[in-house]
Amino acid sequence: MKRFDPGLIAATLLLASFGLLAIYSSGGSYYFFRQLIFVPVAIGAAVVAVFVPRRILYGLAEPIYGLAVLMLLAVLIAGTGPGSHRWFVLGPVYVQPSEFAKLATVLLLAKHLSIKRSVGFNFRDLATPLAVAFVPALLVMVEPDLSTSLIFAALLAAMLYWQGMRPLHILLLFSPALSFAAGFSLYTWIPYFLVLGIILLVRSGVRKALIGLGVSAGFGLLSPVVLGSLKDYQRARIMSFFAPWFDPHGISWNAIQSQIAIGSGRLIGKGFLQGSQKRLGFLPNRHTDFVFSSLGEELGLVGCLVLLGLFFWLLRRMLLAARQSNDSSGSLLCVGFAAIIGYQMFVNIGMLLGLLPITGITLPFISYGGSSLLLNFIMVGLVLNVVSRPE
Amino acid sequence: MAARLTRLTQVLLILLGILSLRLVQLQVIQGARYSRLSDRNRIRKLVLPAPRGRILDRNGVLLADTRPSFTVAVVPTELTDSALPLLARMLDVPDSALREQLKPVAMFASAVNVKRDASFEEVARIEESSFRLPGVHIRVDPVRHYPAANRYCHVLGHIGEVSEDELARDTSLRPLDFVGRAGIEAQYESLLRGRDGSEYAEVDARGQEIGPLREKRLEPEVPGRDLVMTIDDRIQRLADELLVPYARAAVVGMETRTGAIVCLVSKPDFDPNIFMAPIDAATWDSLISNPSKPFYNRAVTSGYPPGSTMKPVVALGALRQGALYRDTRFQPCTGKYKYGNRIFKCSAAHGSLDLVGAIAQSCNIYFYQAGLRLGLDSLTTYAREVGLGRVTGIDMPGEKPGNIPTREWLDKRYGKNQWGAGSVLNFAIGQGEVTATPLQMAVLYGAIASGGRAVRPYLVARVDSAGRTIHTTQPEARQLPMRQQDIEVVKLGLERVVEWGTGAGARIKEIGIAGKTGTAQNPPRPDHAWFVGYAPTDEPEVVFAVLVENAGHGGAVSAPIAGQLIRAYFSPDEGTQPDSSPAEPNVRNGE
Repeated sequence: MKRFDPGLIAATLLLASFGLLAIYSSGGSYYFFRQLIFVPVAIGAAVVAVFVPRRILYGLAEPIYGLAVLMLLAVLIAGTGPGSHRWFVLGPVYVQPSEFAKLATVLLLAKHLSIKRSVGFNFRDLATPLAVAFVPALLVMVEPDLSTSLIFAALLAAMLYWQGMRPLHILLLFSPALSFAAGFSLYTWIPYFLVLGIILLVRSGVRKALIGLGVSAGFGLLSPVVLGSLKDYQRARIMSFFAPWFDPHGISWNAIQSQIAIGSGRLIGKGFLQGSQKRLGFLPNRHTDFVFSSLGEELGLVGCLVLLGLFFWLLRRMLLAARQSNDSSGSLLCVGFAAIIGYQMFVNIGMLLGLLPITGITLPFISYGGSSLLLNFIMVGLVLNVVSRPE
Repeated sequence: MAARLTRLTQVLLILLGILSLRLVQLQVIQGARYSRLSDRNRIRKLVLPAPRGRILDRNGVLLADTRPSFTVAVVPTELTDSALPLLARMLDVPDSALREQLKPVAMFASAVNVKRDASFEEVARIEESSFRLPGVHIRVDPVRHYPAANRYCHVLGHIGEVSEDELARDTSLRPLDFVGRAGIEAQYESLLRGRDGSEYAEVDARGQEIGPLREKRLEPEVPGRDLVMTIDDRIQRLADELLVPYARAAVVGMETRTGAIVCLVSKPDFDPNIFMAPIDAATWDSLISNPSKPFYNRAVTSGYPPGSTMKPVVALGALRQGALYRDTRFQPCTGKYKYGNRIFKCSAAHGSLDLVGAIAQSCNIYFYQAGLRLGLDSLTTYAREVGLGRVTGIDMPGEKPGNIPTREWLDKRYGKNQWGAGSVLNFAIGQGEVTATPLQMAVLYGAIASGGRAVRPYLVARVDSAGRTIHTTQPEARQLPMRQQDIEVVKLGLERVVEWGTGAGARIKEIGIAGKTGTAQNPPRPDHAWFVGYAPTDEPEVVFAVLVENAGHGGAVSAPIAGQLIRAYFSPDEGTQPDSSPAEPNVRNGE
């Protein structure tokens, strides 16, 4: 073992400890102990991940990816979940195949993208990575879990950038998808379209800009159609983002209660275990998706900033690991994993702060959930693998 | 590579910066506001309803109290699929009916009342299985209860749900509150209602109470005041029973010295308890379409021609004016009296009578002539002076003053001098347009019985608060323009009425009764039967006015009712043994 990253390990363990305390406070001892059981399992898996030869991993990248896709297909047919198909029930354990699929996708993308020195903005270079990310993204989207499916876009964008693709090209590549997401309301789509138009006109030729805008417009038109086909609760969730203070006992109830919980924590919080919002059931899913709300209520701004600081430390260590790595596949792994964790952190906390619509994204290391904790630890383990065992 | 690392770190810092700024905005800039919202979220003000005051008779018999009523409420969003059929079975309704009840309610609405006034058994069953019935809640509301049902419907009145107008006028009222709608309930609303208290309770997101919040102030509820009535339930019950054979009738009993009402009954009646639950259409229709108007309190709000019960008033007025003396004899009674070109009749050919004999025999011919001597104006003025044509001031809403047809009134009604001169003759025998309520007649005869002292009748003797008397009603009286020697003559006549005259039917062997019968014409229907009398004759204590509509002669129908009520009034032990009486012999044996 050449190098070792105690900072990354410390950040991981501190975040996990933070998470256990938050679960104890919001979910009680039942969920606390259930989560606690997973900690040694997750650490064990991380240790295996540190020492497994990456060559073997890359060799198995395609089968692993294939397995992930099969699991996503299976969960669509046989899965359970609140109004959707996201989970497998294996005895006492709920397995979320999308967690596994994220990792498998990063692995396969790292293998393929590292073959070339750089990625150009052309079909030949982009067809495989796009397909690799798009298949699981589509399967997750129809579960339906839009916000999780966007993780695949995020990790792909980060990995393409790392591999040398120009940000403008990445923007062009993702503009149809972004147009689609923004198209749920004219209030987001029009500003998006204007900004995109300005960027394209300034940074690229008129012809490219017109093509890009045309494609974007086409995808933007799709979203009202999709909105019409969504289930009521999903539509309500998306719409609640645009008018969160309307109907406080109705669709935006969760968003408002979350903001009241966080806001009422003020500077130093109400004290550990003292949050009334959380204790009285005003917060839904309070040990999973909404765990940050009760943290904000009990620990205040100080506690929240400490948590954000830990995330920064962790992600910074992961990005440093990517730079330090002397093989591009390893460094791509680090960037992909950092993108996953960073995306989930921003979307989860952002939605609880009322910046983004309420979706079913968990907060890595903090939210209750065994498979999530396990895979987060495996990702850290693999980053440590890259740092300590150059190939 | 390093540049890209810097870029990605910058992106990360921007994202974290956005989150941090938002945190500062929520927790520092708007922190106070969210703290307040959080507190309001947690604490809800619960109303502690104040129980309405009880109403008791003079001996403590409960006439109105408050009982708990159970309402089964369902929060549709909390109800599980398996709970619905279970609940339906417990309430003994089909699943589909229950589903239908819950259907129109929006997804986020609060509780729906699926069953009001559920039985104790139903509530017990639901409570036992409450763990299998999420979303099903039992609510307890205080509900007015009248144990004696119909017997006091006119005295006590009833309560009803507050109207929009009342809510706007009285800020202490809340929607769905009940307020007094008639009788004592309405008259003493402010005393009976009490003041609701409030309590701060911790609630969860669904508004379910977790428990009281000790740290916050509690505003205790103030129960309504208890009213102790002057009514004697024993006499009220007897009066009620005695009137059962008659469709429309009224009885008022009153202490002559104080004005305390002993009984007050009007028929037909209704059950005031029906106003507490959603009333079914058939019951309601039968009540309001009943031509006998059961909501009408005939003792207080109906004026009847007083008939011959008017004659003592004519006698007292004529005596006072010197138009008549005790031994005045007019043209003898032949059964007919010709006045102008009309013939006025009498019930018999009484021959020559003095005043006492004329009262005892209730001779119309005598009183026609007395009335003519006095003249219409003197007659009507005197009738008003002794309290006819104006309310007695009883503590009950809706009292009517009856009617004294003065010259002005007749002019207005028929045109100037267009009414016949016979009006004075009709007035003298209490027929035609003169009307009085049974209550007015009771007060009037009570005044004759007690030397011209007219009392203000009253129903509430005292007001109690938490077992302590806070107010006792002081009797009020005024002296009427009656001379003592004239009163003695009239009283003698009234005694003769019962001794051997038209009111012999009232006679009882124990106590001397004095009174007057009356038969009020009600063409084309049968006459109304009156009797107004007091007892004992030497030291009068109580007066009863009995009116039975369309029952014929007062002496035959009403006088016996008065006699029985007076007998009962003066034999308090009869049928009034308390429930604990079987224990008494044992106590005596032990002596």
